[in-house]
Amino acid sequence: MGRGPSELQAQVLAADLCTACGACLGHCPYLKTLGERVAFIHPCPRDEGRCFEVCPRASLDPESLDRQVLGAPRRHPVLGGHDGLYFARALDADVRARGQYGGVATALTLFALESGLAGAALVTGGTPTRQPHAVVARDRDAVLAAAGTKYSACPTLEPLAGLLREGGEALAVVGRPCQVAAARKVEAHEKNGRLAALIGIFCFWALAPAFYRFLAGRPDLQRAIKMDLPKDGDMAFVVNGRAASVPLDEIRPLIRAACQTCFDPTAEWADVSVGSTEYDPAWNTLVVRTARGRDLVERAGAAGALEVRPYPPERIPILEEAVQRKKLRVLDALESGRPEAAYLRIPAAQRDAVRAHGRA
Amino acid sequence: MSLHALSTDAPGEVVILSGNEAIARGGLEAGLGYAAAYPGSPSSEVLGSLAPLARDGGFYAEWSTNEKVAIEGAAAASFAGVRAMTVMKADGLNVALDPLTSLAYSGTKGGLVVVVCDDPGAHSSTKEEDTRYLARACHLPLLEPATVEEAKEMTRWAFDLSEAVGLPVFLRSVTRIAHARGSVVLGALRPPPRTARYDLKDRFITLSVFHQVLHQRIAQARARFEQAPFNRCEGPADASRLVIASGPSFTYAREAVRLLGAGDEVRVLKLGTTWPLPEDLLGAQLRGARQVLFLEEIEPFLETEVKSYWAQHAAALGPMTFLGKASGHVAGSGDPGVGELTPEIALRAVGALAGREVALRSEAFARKVEQVKLGELAPRALAFCPGCPHRASFWAIKAALELDGRQGVVLGDIGCYTLGAMQTGYFTLKTVHAMGSGVGLASGFGKLDLLGFTQPVVAVIGDSTFYHAVVPALVNARYNDSPVLVVVLDNATTAMTGHQPHPGTGRHAMGDLAPALPIEAIARGLGLPTEVQDPLQVDETVESVYRLLRTDGAKLLILRSPCVLLPSVKRLRRAAVDTTRCIGEACGCGRFCNRAFSCPALVWDRALERARVDEVLCSGCGVCIDLCPREAIAFQELA
Repeated sequence: MGRGPSELQAQVLAADLCTACGACLGHCPYLKTLGERVAFIHPCPRDEGRCFEVCPRASLDPESLDRQVLGAPRRHPVLGGHDGLYFARALDADVRARGQYGGVATALTLFALESGLAGAALVTGGTPTRQPHAVVARDRDAVLAAAGTKYSACPTLEPLAGLLREGGEALAVVGRPCQVAAARKVEAHEKNGRLAALIGIFCFWALAPAFYRFLAGRPDLQRAIKMDLPKDGDMAFVVNGRAASVPLDEIRPLIRAACQTCFDPTAEWADVSVGSTEYDPAWNTLVVRTARGRDLVERAGAAGALEVRPYPPERIPILEEAVQRKKLRVLDALESGRPEAAYLRIPAAQRDAVRAHGRA
Repeated sequence: MSLHALSTDAPGEVVILSGNEAIARGGLEAGLGYAAAYPGSPSSEVLGSLAPLARDGGFYAEWSTNEKVAIEGAAAASFAGVRAMTVMKADGLNVALDPLTSLAYSGTKGGLVVVVCDDPGAHSSTKEEDTRYLARACHLPLLEPATVEEAKEMTRWAFDLSEAVGLPVFLRSVTRIAHARGSVVLGALRPPPRTARYDLKDRFITLSVFHQVLHQRIAQARARFEQAPFNRCEGPADASRLVIASGPSFTYAREAVRLLGAGDEVRVLKLGTTWPLPEDLLGAQLRGARQVLFLEEIEPFLETEVKSYWAQHAAALGPMTFLGKASGHVAGSGDPGVGELTPEIALRAVGALAGREVALRSEAFARKVEQVKLGELAPRALAFCPGCPHRASFWAIKAALELDGRQGVVLGDIGCYTLGAMQTGYFTLKTVHAMGSGVGLASGFGKLDLLGFTQPVVAVIGDSTFYHAVVPALVNARYNDSPVLVVVLDNATTAMTGHQPHPGTGRHAMGDLAPALPIEAIARGLGLPTEVQDPLQVDETVESVYRLLRTDGAKLLILRSPCVLLPSVKRLRRAAVDTTRCIGEACGCGRFCNRAFSCPALVWDRALERARVDEVLCSGCGVCIDLCPREAIAFQELA
């Protein structure tokens, strides 16, 4: 079987399994994106291509990614490899105000840039009610302007290939789990150590671009500056300092199809993963996964950018259960032979471990 | 062409003219006062020759918005007693047909000649139509010149006929007359009198009661055709083998008879007045004939008419064998009624009639021709010119549709951009019909949502087409709220037919300034959201098309960039490949510039194994600069 553009088109793009991570873009003139959709604008004549190789939906092999990132098999079947689980928040008031919850992703990105760890950061810019866009941030203003969660699938990695080709500065990437996995696949090919920090964002699903058309019909929400999806709640908006909400049942049909078969809601191959606590909106959940991640968090803490406290033990099962539920749904799809889950190469032992988790 | 040769008043002088110029000269010798045309190959040079002479010649010439308006304007002149001519290609006649069929009923006054140039073989047309059927349907007399010289004479004569019978008269030319050159003996120029006036006793009313009058007028035309100088017979009067030929086929027939040495046994009847048939003349010529061969373009029109005449008079004429398209003796590209009639076909057919054979070319020569055709000539597809903005437009439309991902349908129209249906336009166009049809079709597709249709619909039209026939379709789409995107490829001219001005250009046929009617002003006047974009800015164009595809209702996008062949478009710079940045096949782009985008100026340098820009062909549009993934192409200023 070939591993190139035709396969990417047949198995991912035409099958509506593309997560719009953006990793396939920028390698060639054939693949382009608009409106969070990636497409070949002209038939590519090649049999093989980087586009296919870096696609997290062409195939995803958790075992080999674990080996690549952790150098060892995973130690946690549900949350992925990690050596620390925390509540964390930014100490800078601006960052907390602009960022999501405790502003940890924004704080870490800023620290990576300001400490010289990275020369540029790939982040997702825009306001919550307009289609977001990829941003190559090189300073505090650009990072702050892009702070806050966006709820659709921005191809943030679009500039990555070009940046790596041009050479030079080390890069930080803030992305959804699919984008972190893709960045690791890129890293496997590049092997130049220029991906200095991968900051993953928890993501249980992204919305399709139809969400913005939905919002266009809701003038009351168009000027929202923040959006949130509280656990088991409706979609919440902050508009002019006031709260508004949309019932989740109206939002659910707008979920991007590809996200239904995502096996990785917590960005298991990031250096650190950041998410909601589903508990205290002033804080983030912070998962430290790699030595590089540990180093980043410790240095950011020492520099006064970040405040970290232990994850409340009673909250851990709640987080694990949410992630496990999603994984089990996808395992069911995989095992019932649904083609949209066929990209996953999950060994039997790992499947069993996901199923067995928490049942002891 | 020499305007001098066309306008010189030197009776008896012999000059070389094209068929279209000869027709124009025929008008000038007939006292032409009003000429109106819509361009269309092979007819365009008739008005193109007249217009520069109009001011000094004291007559009026215009490029009309479409053929229907052209014939109506010419009819007005006729009603005012002025000799008038209208010129169009076969497809244009379809547009003009409604007023023409009415004019047949109402009658006309000043000589009104309708010049229609058919295009056998469709060298520069999308269809291959035979005007003679429509002349018959209109009940209007039709003349068919066989030579350039005769085209001039016939035009002059047609004005007299028109005034004698009170009807418009067709002059049916074909490509091999229109674009051929021949010697023409000039007659005296006749400036039009300045006596245009509508006599209030005159009435030109279309009413069914005039059907009968029309038949009487056609009978008068038939009577005049019996004496017309354009019908004649060559060869022995008692020959039982007869060729009936019209148009350039007559010259092929004469040549074939000579080559076959069959002059003693084959007679050739040349018919220049092909509808209505001069029946007395025909009857006289058929008497004694036992085998009759028809040579004509395109359809078997004379063949059918003559057979019908024979059936009516079979008892007197006796048994006869007919050779022609129906019998399979005369066929164009495979089928009867398809393609041009060539001298080879005529030679074979006359050979069959005479029972003789002769090769037009030696076998060795024929073999050599085949060899060159098959082996040594590179096959080349029809392509947009280097730097043509249409290529960029189709690239952007195609890209936007792929990115949109809803299987959008692109509907074509008539112009250079019809090539969008072919490889040079990335096979983007899925339909091609008549002028304006793309928008009418789009309007229809747009209303199929009720029936489950979810694909976006784009109509691609040209600027001249916009004025010609698109406006009513746009009104329809707007009125019926059909969610279509109409993309106007505005290259500031009627490019395909030779850069004639149109209502948007701010110029008249006679060269003076005209009020320009901007497309966007008209579209906005219809309440259509309208945007203007330079198609050479590819990314921006893709985004515009993409965004508009996703908006409701009918809307218009003007992709505006002048035709690179316009004299006013100066080439100030060209693109050049930096061979240190282009890494050839190692890039992995798959020769994106010359293979995918495929502008003819982008070539592959086999020696260097790099892309190269042909410095002669490049017009400096710069699109390839934006498309190259390695930024290996850059502008080079020209001194």
